[in-house]
Amino acid sequence: MVSKKEIETLAALARLKLSDAEVKTLQKDISNILEYVEAVSTAKIPSGSTARDGIGIVLKNVMREDTEREGDLLAGKRENLLKALPKREGDYAVVRKIIEK
Amino acid sequence: MGISELASISITEAARKLGAKEISALDLVRACLKNIEVRDKSLNAYLEVFDDVEAQAKKADERRAKGESHPLLGIPFAIKDNILIKGRRAGAASKILEGYVASYDATVIKKLKDAGAIFLGRTNMDEFAHGSSTENSAYGPTKNPFDEERVPGGSSGGSAAALAAHMALGSLGTDTGGSIREPASFCGLVGLKPTYGAVSRSGLIAMGSSLDQAGPLTKTVADAELIFNTIKGEDPLDSTSIGEHTYAKKSAGRRIGVPRRLFVEGVDQDVLKNFETSLERLKKKGYEIVDIALPSASLALAVYYIVMPAEVSTNLARFDGVRYGLSLKGTSLYEDYAKTRGEGFGPEVRRRVMLGTYVLSAGYYDAYYGKATIARKQLAAEVTRVLEEVDCIANPTTPTPAFKIGEKSDPLSMYLADIFTVTANLTGNPAISIPMGSVTRDGKELPVGIQFTAAHGDEAALFAAGKALEEK
Repeated sequence: MVSKKEIETLAALARLKLSDAEVKTLQKDISNILEYVEAVSTAKIPSGSTARDGIGIVLKNVMREDTEREGDLLAGKRENLLKALPKREGDYAVVRKIIEK
Repeated sequence: MGISELASISITEAARKLGAKEISALDLVRACLKNIEVRDKSLNAYLEVFDDVEAQAKKADERRAKGESHPLLGIPFAIKDNILIKGRRAGAASKILEGYVASYDATVIKKLKDAGAIFLGRTNMDEFAHGSSTENSAYGPTKNPFDEERVPGGSSGGSAAALAAHMALGSLGTDTGGSIREPASFCGLVGLKPTYGAVSRSGLIAMGSSLDQAGPLTKTVADAELIFNTIKGEDPLDSTSIGEHTYAKKSAGRRIGVPRRLFVEGVDQDVLKNFETSLERLKKKGYEIVDIALPSASLALAVYYIVMPAEVSTNLARFDGVRYGLSLKGTSLYEDYAKTRGEGFGPEVRRRVMLGTYVLSAGYYDAYYGKATIARKQLAAEVTRVLEEVDCIANPTTPTPAFKIGEKSDPLSMYLADIFTVTANLTGNPAISIPMGSVTRDGKELPVGIQFTAAHGDEAALFAAGKALEEK
């Protein structure tokens, strides 16, 4: 079973605040799901490739010319994007001070 | 007050009537609005019905009066809440997007607007499309119009229920692991998951970017084809979108492969009976039915529940309380994030983000994500090989008819509802669910669907098989 500490570390990595009760539930749920998906361990890695080869054969690569596109795709949308900000001052998003002295 | 019959016709039939001036777009939206008034209080298919639909209809009627004639001109649509319509709320049925107003049109919406479609409202869904029942919505579950004690399927359950209850003539959903096809199956509709890239993903709230596709839910195959032809196409705003000629066209054959070994266990006997009856009907229409083997397909669901949460955990990192939606304050920057995300996301979303973070974390990456990627390759190679021999692969869309609300409280049991649908998302193939009659449960007739999968770019084979089955 996935440990309480592992769940808490993952939650911190994922920036999720969880209650103690949820940590417990997730220990059980994540363990059950991992047990099920474990089946993929039977997949054989073909010789000459590694587990990090990506999904090359699944998808067909479609290349395009590296040229400038006409017009700005976001033209006229600036104000709309700014309007979505939860906290705004003028044309700036308000964020918390990150660098401390 | 009864429901309006006018809203129960197909898009194709409505387009004919509109063209012949037998009805107006205004008549159609009024019929839909009436049915919404009668049924949606209990069904909960719509999160919001827009307040300007009659004005939209009048505009469509004016466009027709001026000589425009697209078959979707004046057709009222229900749109899933993860597809952006400029100036409208969009929230993926999540509290974390509370108050968010879309700043641009999704490409699919732009194309429907150009054609003259009307948007009735945005429909309920599992939060961020995480689910197979629409029970994971932050705004309460949607009910199945055929039996209100049951789920409509998910995650596009609101779009499916809206259509099945004649509260729209067409609808758009999104499909990451079956989210169009499974609700189509549970609600007696046609549901198409196009080839990966055939329809632009620009303006969809992303779930699993290597899996997601938008597509239609409709009453007939012809309607699905019509919508697909309207919304497909290469788009500079989605670099994964493909054109007409990306994949070679196949010749229209009539061979259907059935991977019978995959459903010897775990499939409802009545569902299987309907499936066999449908195959017999296809034989009578000149189709040849052959047995095929897809040995890696038994791993598909395990692969999916690694790849999908991995992509979910990365895609959902953007919901941080800074750029849009909910923003909660703690005592530090870390706490701002953790509080906003902990409270803004619902339990299933939190579970998937955690699972994705786990399978991608150092030390586990190769064992889970790496292995899943290898299995995904094998699966894709098998499907491609099989589709060189047959034109379509057929299986029941879901192992059972619609289940009861609250029945699948264990997450893993819910995930098993996707067992036959996830393969097409992992391999990028197009797949469609077509109604194959109904089964009786608790005295209610519950629809079930048959799924066809075709080669990349060969939606035509799906429409052909679907139409053959649809003909009386």
